[in-house]
Amino acid sequence: MVEVPPDESRRVWLLRSLKGAISATVIAVLYPVACFLRPRRATVAGAMEVVAPFTVNKLPGAADNPFDFGGKPCLVVLAPSGLRRLKSGEPLRSGDVRAFNALCTHVDCTVEYRPDQADIFCNCHGGVYDLNGKNISGPPPRPLETYKVDLRGDPDNPGKQEIIVSRKT
Amino acid sequence: MSRIGHIVRFLRERSGWEDLQSLANKKRVPIHSATHFYYLGGMALFLFMVQIVTGILLSLYYKPSPDQAFESVEAIVTEVSFGWLVRSAHCWSANLLIGVLFLHLLTTYLMRAYRRPRELTWLTGVLLLGLFMAFGFSGYLLPWNELAFFATRVGTAIVSKVPGIGHDLLLLARGGDDVTGDTLARFYSLHVVVLPMLTFALLGSHLFFVQKHGMSVPDLVEANRKIKPRCPSMPFVPHFLLRDMVGWYLALALLAALAALFPWELGKKLTDPFASAPEGMSPEWYFLFMFQTLKILPGNIALPWPIGDVEGEVVGVLFFGACGFVILLTPFFDRGRKSRWILNGLAGIAVAFFIVMTVWGWFSQADQTVLRIALGSLLATIVLFLLVPSTKPNTTARRMLYGVLTLTTCAFLLAVSQGLIAR
Repeated sequence: MVEVPPDESRRVWLLRSLKGAISATVIAVLYPVACFLRPRRATVAGAMEVVAPFTVNKLPGAADNPFDFGGKPCLVVLAPSGLRRLKSGEPLRSGDVRAFNALCTHVDCTVEYRPDQADIFCNCHGGVYDLNGKNISGPPPRPLETYKVDLRGDPDNPGKQEIIVSRKT
Repeated sequence: MSRIGHIVRFLRERSGWEDLQSLANKKRVPIHSATHFYYLGGMALFLFMVQIVTGILLSLYYKPSPDQAFESVEAIVTEVSFGWLVRSAHCWSANLLIGVLFLHLLTTYLMRAYRRPRELTWLTGVLLLGLFMAFGFSGYLLPWNELAFFATRVGTAIVSKVPGIGHDLLLLARGGDDVTGDTLARFYSLHVVVLPMLTFALLGSHLFFVQKHGMSVPDLVEANRKIKPRCPSMPFVPHFLLRDMVGWYLALALLAALAALFPWELGKKLTDPFASAPEGMSPEWYFLFMFQTLKILPGNIALPWPIGDVEGEVVGVLFFGACGFVILLTPFFDRGRKSRWILNGLAGIAVAFFIVMTVWGWFSQADQTVLRIALGSLLATIVLFLLVPSTKPNTTARRMLYGVLTLTTCAFLLAVSQGLIAR
């Protein structure tokens, strides 16, 4: 063991406390800066539930589709079975109206509902999803995120029903 | 050699690091009774760096439009974590920076550091002070609150008093006949693009000149040198730099304390630009001396023939313009001992005028008396402390100085403790 002369040990102690104080200062400055850079709450956490800005009979060609759901675009589509029931005036069943997070799973472009092709298409890189949100062609690596859909209103008059989209829990 | 060693050698060979190092090793700082004045420049540089960092952070959330400016600043201080601290630090360090620059200017003058060959250092320095005051003025409008709106309207209206080109200058400053959203956009662009670019250019040359000519030794010390052959000095790296950093550390501590204990106010949202101006209208403290002067000038001043009656404001504007010009060109007015009597007299009058007018304007506002006393006594303490080396030890003057210094320090501590208790 090497013996440290007393004055040298004092110097070591001083240097250590100096380094400690400087590190503490750096942390005290960097911590608020890092917190400041984190986005504020209003722009991250979205709403849990939203009413679509159109009723079921405006589908499939609704103008406001996709719409804002807690800061992200939400796309509502009508499954072929839903289209048939809507035309014949039968009450709609669950799964006839579907809602998705409209952000393409490839690189966050907003997708488009193509009723005539019965698919969901992304204009940015040509990704294609079916009406279940499953990726069937092009670059998207995963299906679209699905939301829960509830219909509110008279089931015997399906066209006038409101569409309530909520996050799955 | 280790891999990191290789990288270090690679960078050293290509970056000219050795040249920089030998330059730094060559630099020495003279030691005499006023050496501590040399720290003011470094402290201003440190506060400017704080301004850059906090300013960039604020610009991440700020939105320069009349509909959103106030709301975005409100969101910064209420929603963003530590947003209040960042904004408060930005405002406080801006004020400290101007204060330090005033002292830097004054002490540089006292040491006559502007003498040949350092005229350009002085010139760029004075211009930098002007730029920082412009920073303060343009930044004041950005929160788009009532006070900012009316202060900017008044401040830009003063520009219109310049004879001849006044109205054109007004239109250039406001981007219209009145202060509108276009003014806000202009001031924002000025504050975050134009002024920073000019500042970097001027600051770069200022630092280059300081580096090129080295630290100036006051002529009084130089005169004494005939008795003692060499003025002692210390190397800049690491001796002076480490002392400098202690100063930065103190500045950081003061800034943190001020920003945390006295968060900067948000003000009231400007709802109606056509409403009457609110009570307690005043600019930042470093414009107060001009504000107070213009307040007490009569509407019309009779000047001797052939000029005749002139608007008071015009006289004020021309007077301050001339003062700025004299300060800028001080190195060229100094022509030896005789001219120094005149210059010193003028400088004494100017400092006294600045202090009297600022204090007058400061205390004619009733609110926040404790904060005003705290800051006023702090400023007085600093100025008195800087005066200590100019008195000889064991004289009545030195003893009186110490006495007053004790009083102002007590006033400062009392005001701060009062403020803390009130909280």
